[in-house]
Amino acid sequence: MPKDSHNTYQIKISGQVQGVGFRPFVYNLALKYQIRGTVSNNEDGVAVYCNSSKKKVADFLSDILNHKPETAIITTYSIIDLPYIEYNSFEILPSEINKKINIPLTPDFAICNNCKTELSEAANRRYHYAFTTCVHCGPRYAITNKFPFERAHTTMDDFIMCDTCKMEYKAPTNKRFHSQTNSCSSCGIQLQLTTNSAEVITKNQIDCIDDVASFIIKGNIIAIKNTSGYLLCCDATNRDAVITLRKRKKRPHKPFAVIYSSLEAVKKDFNPSIHEERMLQSGVAPIVILQNTKKTAIAVNAIAPNINQTGVMLPSSALLELIMQKVGRPIIATSGNLHGSPILSEEKEARKKLEKVADYFLNHNLNIQFPQDDSVVKFADSHKLVLRRARGLAPNYIEAKAISKEPVLAMGAHLKSTFTFVPNTQLYVSQYFGNLENFDVLERYKTAIDQYIELFQTSPKTILIDRHAQYESSILGEELASKIGAKIYPIQHHKAHFASVLGENQLFTSNKKILGVIWDGVGLGDDNQVWGGEFFTYHNSKIERLTHFEYYDWIANDKMSTEPRLALFSLLNDKNLVKNKFSETEWSIYTKTITKNTLITSSVGRLFDAVASALDIVDVNTFEAEAAIQLENCASSYAGNHFTDFLDGFDYDKIPSQYIIETITKTYRKGGAKEQLAYSFIYTLAMAIIKIAQKNHIDTIACSGGVFQNSLLTEILIKEAEKQTLILNLNRELSPNDENISFGQFMYHQHIKN
Amino acid sequence: MPKLDFDIITLGHGSGGVLTNKLLDSGVFDLLTNDILEERHDGAIINMNEKIAFSTDSFLVSPIFFPGGNIGELAVNGTVNDLAMCGAVPKYLSLSFILEEGLKMTEFWEVLVAIKFACENANVKVVTGDTKVVEKGKGDKIFINTSGIGNVHPKANIGKTRIQIGDKIIVSGNIATHGMAIMSIREGLEFESTIQSDTTNLNHTIINLIEQFGNDIHLLTDPTRGGIATVLKEIALTSDFGVDIFQRDLPMDDQVASACELLGIDPLYVANEGLFLSFVDASIANSFLEVLQNDKNGKNAKIIGSVVDTHPNQVILESSIGGKRVVSMLPGEQLPRIC
Ligand SMILES: [Fe+3]
Ligand SMILES: [Mg+2]
Ligand SMILES: [Zn+2]
Ligand SMILES: [Zn+2]
Repeated sequence: MPKDSHNTYQIKISGQVQGVGFRPFVYNLALKYQIRGTVSNNEDGVAVYCNSSKKKVADFLSDILNHKPETAIITTYSIIDLPYIEYNSFEILPSEINKKINIPLTPDFAICNNCKTELSEAANRRYHYAFTTCVHCGPRYAITNKFPFERAHTTMDDFIMCDTCKMEYKAPTNKRFHSQTNSCSSCGIQLQLTTNSAEVITKNQIDCIDDVASFIIKGNIIAIKNTSGYLLCCDATNRDAVITLRKRKKRPHKPFAVIYSSLEAVKKDFNPSIHEERMLQSGVAPIVILQNTKKTAIAVNAIAPNINQTGVMLPSSALLELIMQKVGRPIIATSGNLHGSPILSEEKEARKKLEKVADYFLNHNLNIQFPQDDSVVKFADSHKLVLRRARGLAPNYIEAKAISKEPVLAMGAHLKSTFTFVPNTQLYVSQYFGNLENFDVLERYKTAIDQYIELFQTSPKTILIDRHAQYESSILGEELASKIGAKIYPIQHHKAHFASVLGENQLFTSNKKILGVIWDGVGLGDDNQVWGGEFFTYHNSKIERLTHFEYYDWIANDKMSTEPRLALFSLLNDKNLVKNKFSETEWSIYTKTITKNTLITSSVGRLFDAVASALDIVDVNTFEAEAAIQLENCASSYAGNHFTDFLDGFDYDKIPSQYIIETITKTYRKGGAKEQLAYSFIYTLAMAIIKIAQKNHIDTIACSGGVFQNSLLTEILIKEAEKQTLILNLNRELSPNDENISFGQFMYHQHIKN
Repeated sequence: MPKLDFDIITLGHGSGGVLTNKLLDSGVFDLLTNDILEERHDGAIINMNEKIAFSTDSFLVSPIFFPGGNIGELAVNGTVNDLAMCGAVPKYLSLSFILEEGLKMTEFWEVLVAIKFACENANVKVVTGDTKVVEKGKGDKIFINTSGIGNVHPKANIGKTRIQIGDKIIVSGNIATHGMAIMSIREGLEFESTIQSDTTNLNHTIINLIEQFGNDIHLLTDPTRGGIATVLKEIALTSDFGVDIFQRDLPMDDQVASACELLGIDPLYVANEGLFLSFVDASIANSFLEVLQNDKNGKNAKIIGSVVDTHPNQVILESSIGGKRVVSMLPGEQLPRIC
């Protein structure tokens, strides 16, 4: 034995390093370097102990860092000298357990290309096996019971590997070496196809896929249990089938997503940018919102009525991959649930709730611990806008380190609920749950909180809630705090949004003043009015309200958020201009109530609504944010360059909400073009940000809030900020909408000392 | 109204001296007269046997006159109904006024007359009372407090602990009527609607039901302030069961429904006055409903839900399209939550 290997080193690597094939990767590398020792998962990540020379171990480590498995994310690593211990071979050790867990929860990964190839090779063991996975792909978070990521800690534990699978698992050179989700058709997960009255049609795995494909082609609706929950599917080229699905799901207008079999198939219908292509093909496999083209051959008017865009994704699992290959045309895939309820994942419940929606059910016997919707992503040029953060993205938040002294639970908002749990130095931002006013969503949200407390064996000592005491999350937070004796702090909604974007961009330590531009629909302000068009400053750990959109009347409670015509009515001085949008009774009631009204708002969300109504685009929403989406759609179709900044020459002490709306309404009535006015409106808003930054001599801007889901606004803003050499910060891994509130609450609590 | 040498209430009317007596003598006593009141003692001395129910309530409503009633009958009916909810036959009331300086005597008189008729309808006597006057601006015309006592009906056995899984929940009539009547005046919509407050005394209706169904009536409660939602949630919170209610079964006047819709108000949280909820044994629910529907106060009665064990402490409203909504107690005014 050469002298120089008489050293023992310990290498520690943390980040997203479990459930991504890290140990087998290190193992094979160790063989290559002829290094002896061990590798194991532990409470902080991966630990390697080895005998090696100093030079060799350095090369070994840099090889690890440079060639890590594709889905691994390394946040920190260390190497130290240890007293000599002799190793005789290199081994993968089972995980150390019973310690406090301090690692990311690995998200689910879409099927990798290798596995895809194996599926279609007739001679391969995994030919047509619908649950083919490897160390690089497959469900992770969805099936997690416990830490660390070991088969015994997942619901895969219900399946005992056959001898061949076991061999693969044990063979260092096999690509399924140490693959925790390893299984095959003889030992693994079984499909079953039934009618909606639970009659079994077939249990033959290949027939299941063939039959589902032919049912889809015939125009039927199938509930397919994917590895993250049920999807409702039908032929996307069959208008009648799509409309039937709409009727049965009681979802008349809200867009559906479409699965394509491959990127090539997507390209036949759309012109995705390089960023969009990469996103579609990534391990996240989210829904990517693409611009429709002339060649788009699916039933677009039924899939996304009046919207010039389609949510597109590629198969996220072997099961969907096989179905897509067989169907040979794009299919609708929408979360398997009833109107507003959470995605279903349990066979009995799915049958009960979806029996009138689906004609057939494709079930399987893998239990899902954390059901998740598909994530949704859109691009504003190269900037990735997360619209819904769920499968493949949740729940890790690796980029921000938590420095909390004690465990914290942040409850988030109400309509787009998430929670953030910080049991240790890792930060977990849950998947999107939905509207907490829905009983099933609230139950799902509660259950997940309990699961996290159980998973980490840690109870929160501090609970953070929104200042709006009527959010179900606030009510639950209060209940929880008094039950477990935790401290509770309410945090203002828009300040939490601001803290989210500050946190995502590591700006809390900045010594320059930062302008926070927080625009959304509704949040309860410090003055008990409805905020939503806020400008803050952040400096020296303090957030202050700099200015805001001029207040206008908030009328008719939540109804104002669903009827853009009410926002327009409220904003116009000359209300008679919109009399035609109301019935006589409505008119006489609203004209009276507005004179007695006391609730006022600075909401920019409602300003978008008002413009949509002023331009006769949408007067009453049929689904959430419809007006904003349609308005963006309209503005995006403007191809000219005769747009105006309506506030050019204004002093920007406050943004004159009424003036903007009056101007647009009157110009439109005089014959102004919708598209041009819609574009000018968004341009005016973008310029307001630039002007306010300049007026206040601030060069760093941070924007958040639901309004920044608007990709046109974001695009204009990116361009204009660059022109003026202003530094623009946006939400990155999190959505700008209320999904980021829980994270923002935590960041606010950590860093703000108002 | 009697002839008076003053036409507004002044501070002196609450002094306890000459002016107070003048106010009372000049008609109040005549109007509300009965043996015990005529004693004009510091308090009323009354004979009550058996189990007694005792309740109190203060009434502040603006405006004091509204479609379908005024604060006077509200004050009598409110306490009468609270006693009825205990399964008691209301007998005696106390009546205390806090008047705002400057109140018109005619208005005061109209309230008094309403009190008199409400007492007659409910068959109760005002046996003791008080009048105070506060400076202008320190009150809102009239505040009234009433307390009442009555004998608990021997067949009544009412209490939260008697509620059982499976109990049916019955509402006696259209919901949200009183609150929307007040709202229509406050918002200046009186010409748009003819919504009338549902204020009335429920004691005869209740006693009739108790006589017929006695022990099978587990709980009676009147969903006044905070509406049906608040009452149900309160009950669910203090027990280990849950409540399911069905939107399509909630009886509502068309005008009330459309006013709520237009103003973005959730009728579940709107105040009721002449309305009560009954939790009854499932076995008698249908016959109970039938009897109630034949009563003048129960024409629109409906079974709206039941007591369940599936979601303890939770009240769930199943919507007409099948969604399940969480019903919470709203702290304060409804504020927008939708983004
Ligand atoms: Fe928000
Ligand atoms: Mg009462
Ligand atoms: Zn794979
Ligand atoms: Zn196998």
